Amino acid sequence: MRAATPRPWWRRPHVVGPVLAVVAVLLAVSMVRTLTGTEALTGSGVVGATLRLAVPIGLAGLSGLWSERAGVANLGIEGMMIIGTVCGAWAGYAYGVWAGVLAGVVGGVLAGLLHAVVTVTFGVDQVVCGVAVNILAVGVARFLCVVAFNGLPGAGATQSPPVRGTIGTISLPVLAGGWGTPDLLGRLEQTHWFLLSDAGGILRGFLHDVSWFTVVAVALVLGSVLVLWHTAFGLRLRAAGEHPAAADSLGVPVQRMRYWAVLVSGGLAGLAGSYLVTVASNVYREGQTGGRGFIGLAAMIFGNWRPAGTVGGALLFGYADALQLRQSTAVHVLILLAAVLLWMAAIVGLRRRPRLSGVMALLGMTAFAVFQTTDAVPTQLVYATPYLATLLVLVTTAQRLRMPAYVGVPYRRGGA
Amino acid sequence: MSPHAVHEPPPLVELRGIGKRYPGVVANRDVNLAVHPGQIHAVVGENGAGKSTLMRILYGEEQPDEGELLLDGETVRLRSPADAIAAGIGMVHQHFMLAENLTVLENVILGAENTRWGLLDRRSGRRAVREVSERYGLDVDPDATVEHLGVGQRQRVEILKVLYRGARVLIFDEPTAVLVPGEVRALFGSLAGLRAQGLAVVFISHKLDEVLAVSDHITVIRAGASVGSFATADADPRRLSRLIVGGELPAPAARRRGGGGEVVLRLRGLRAEAVADATLEVAQGEILGIAGVQGNGQTELIEAIMGIRAVSGGSLHIAGREATHLGTRGRRRLGLACIPEDRHRQALALPATLWENAMLGSEDLRRRSRWRVDRKAARDATGRLVAGFGIRSPSVDVPAAALSGGNQQKLVVGRELGGRPKVLLAAHPTRGVDVGAQAVIWERLRDARDDGLAVLLVGADLDELLGLSDRVQVMLRGRLSPAVPVGELTVERLGRMMTGAEPEPVDSAAENR
Repeated sequence: MRAATPRPWWRRPHVVGPVLAVVAVLLAVSMVRTLTGTEALTGSGVVGATLRLAVPIGLAGLSGLWSERAGVANLGIEGMMIIGTVCGAWAGYAYGVWAGVLAGVVGGVLAGLLHAVVTVTFGVDQVVCGVAVNILAVGVARFLCVVAFNGLPGAGATQSPPVRGTIGTISLPVLAGGWGTPDLLGRLEQTHWFLLSDAGGILRGFLHDVSWFTVVAVALVLGSVLVLWHTAFGLRLRAAGEHPAAADSLGVPVQRMRYWAVLVSGGLAGLAGSYLVTVASNVYREGQTGGRGFIGLAAMIFGNWRPAGTVGGALLFGYADALQLRQSTAVHVLILLAAVLLWMAAIVGLRRRPRLSGVMALLGMTAFAVFQTTDAVPTQLVYATPYLATLLVLVTTAQRLRMPAYVGVPYRRGGA
Repeated sequence: MSPHAVHEPPPLVELRGIGKRYPGVVANRDVNLAVHPGQIHAVVGENGAGKSTLMRILYGEEQPDEGELLLDGETVRLRSPADAIAAGIGMVHQHFMLAENLTVLENVILGAENTRWGLLDRRSGRRAVREVSERYGLDVDPDATVEHLGVGQRQRVEILKVLYRGARVLIFDEPTAVLVPGEVRALFGSLAGLRAQGLAVVFISHKLDEVLAVSDHITVIRAGASVGSFATADADPRRLSRLIVGGELPAPAARRRGGGGEVVLRLRGLRAEAVADATLEVAQGEILGIAGVQGNGQTELIEAIMGIRAVSGGSLHIAGREATHLGTRGRRRLGLACIPEDRHRQALALPATLWENAMLGSEDLRRRSRWRVDRKAARDATGRLVAGFGIRSPSVDVPAAALSGGNQQKLVVGRELGGRPKVLLAAHPTRGVDVGAQAVIWERLRDARDDGLAVLLVGADLDELLGLSDRVQVMLRGRLSPAVPVGELTVERLGRMMTGAEPEPVDSAAENR
């Protein structure tokens, strides 16, 4: 049986689907913006903030992806991020901001090493160890903070002195006004044309005043795709998470693969932590990570253990967060957006899953009614938006989620 | 059978005096085995005789305590599967070693990838896989995801994995245990293809008919030692089975008794997914066999009767009571019991201890106390079961996973019979178990039948069906044929009925669909 010549990449379902989804969402957002006049919805300001808020979440998600793809559940990402923040702040204060970034990675790798030794070598339950790492990290961070920053100007037991220097930004020339060139997308955004200025605003948000750190993060996502799906190393690493015994029987060093994965995972988590102390702010503060490690894991699940999906999940969180930070009244409009999206999904799914479509149409109606009868969303609910969005998506797509088959299962040679 | 008897080349692989001890157990002692190129060499023996340990040694997964391993006449040491692969030895595992989430190609090239500039070269890998699969007639789409493949295709992927690595010796560990008859024939075709290419095949099995049909040479392992080695052409089944068990074997067909008691399981036009209008009656003291090629609705029929699968029409009576709308628990209370077809997935909690498994769903516990589990009583009851069925186990506190397949199955049979059911559903009750356990299970099923139990036996093993059943119905594309008394059936006729080549016999009694 000779398979037909494979379809070109731009026509394969896993490319076509997301592209159509993006177009549909853009259409819906644009409609809602025009109807309600909420320019912030697709403004480059909000999108830029989205990107800035999404970076640590996305890195945390990528961290989880590396680890889980190799079959090691990593619930310690939050803790590894905490270590990353404290190490990053210390080196950032002592040697400059880029040294801080590097130190964050090193700190995360060390925390990852602990997780790897305990779960891979000693086969301890991965969830238990992850939770332990989180608890341990809080204490270690406090300890390091006291030891390293005591008596320094502006520092205390829960706060570091400011990091020296900042990480620069870059704008794309011509399109987003980098290096004194015209800012074409910015002008497009100002026209308030239906759809076009929305696309312009969103693109400009991604291209204007982007931190070099963000550029590095994007490169890491692309690099992860390349390494995990297009190298022999990546195939072996994923095989360690899909069927370790099979991999072992073919001479793949499963434990070593898992070590690599968890170390990379720790490094990425540490990097996410150092972002918080070098870009998002310039000091270490206790409790700074604020659960972003866990949100990152949610983004990874949302993205079905795939890098592109993880990025999408991180952006979703970041968007809800950015909107709430910059213009919390706009969150009210999100309800209308949800209604429109639900209706669109209901129409798309009408043929194949009529019952689900009905439910979604009904939900959309409810959302619309809520939108019509209220003026604002309580702030608590505003903060919960990203979580609600995730829950909604997880509930509707859970059946199709495909996690690595051996996540959470310690591997022992010869064991059944 | 052995055309190269005149000028035999030196053995490709030779095991000399292999011994292996585990704490408390001697798994192998003084095993000798010589496999030649272009030969299908069967290694037979009961489960637990030490075949698996021997193969693990040959594949580098275990180190022998004594003896030596020769490749092309030279002593080698295989410290790991990677060494074995490098030496040209490949293993086709019984429980497939395939990552379901990955594609066929990824599974095959894993660990031996072609790379270009550090990146995976899928194109050349795909070409290589196609080449191998065409040369040996193993038809699989390299870009299919393994989870979408059937059992036969998965096995082909396993064989591809081994061939892709340039193996000259292929070890097949109980390859037919998971296959249906049609797939077994296809496998034997593939094996012949491998032999024709000059490869050596080591074929591990405990099914004598298969061994006699496919192999060129047979080595018998008993109690860890090789007790006989001869060309298949010189073997006869009785001598072979005596060698395997070290004594006489009970034949499946021995005594037979007509049913004629009260009907305790009655299906009238039962419909479920993949089951169309199933009508059957099983009386007390009778075994009704359901024959059929796998995938014709047998699994669904059993699940529908057990109440695990939704029924869309028809009726079901157990012991004279309407049970169509009862749940599984209600049906069990009416006296229904079941030996499911997949003991690992459906019958046992593998990490749990024997006594916990034996007490699953047992009404005994409830009778003593409504809330508390009486561990001592449970252990004692399990101990009696273990002794009664001759289950080989150090204690009732070891996990079920520690038992061999045959002993696990005996535990399941014992548990289901222990509740003194009125109706027993037995789906492939002796699949993948050794001849010893098979004999015990057959014996117990017959005893229970003679005591008035009604048994619905679903099987793929035609000898078992014909040997045990009183009447047989054939299931084809979800439909049941009318019942035929077993006296009127032969293996050939049953085979024709299973493939639809013979029109269904007319039987007015079952004519109401």
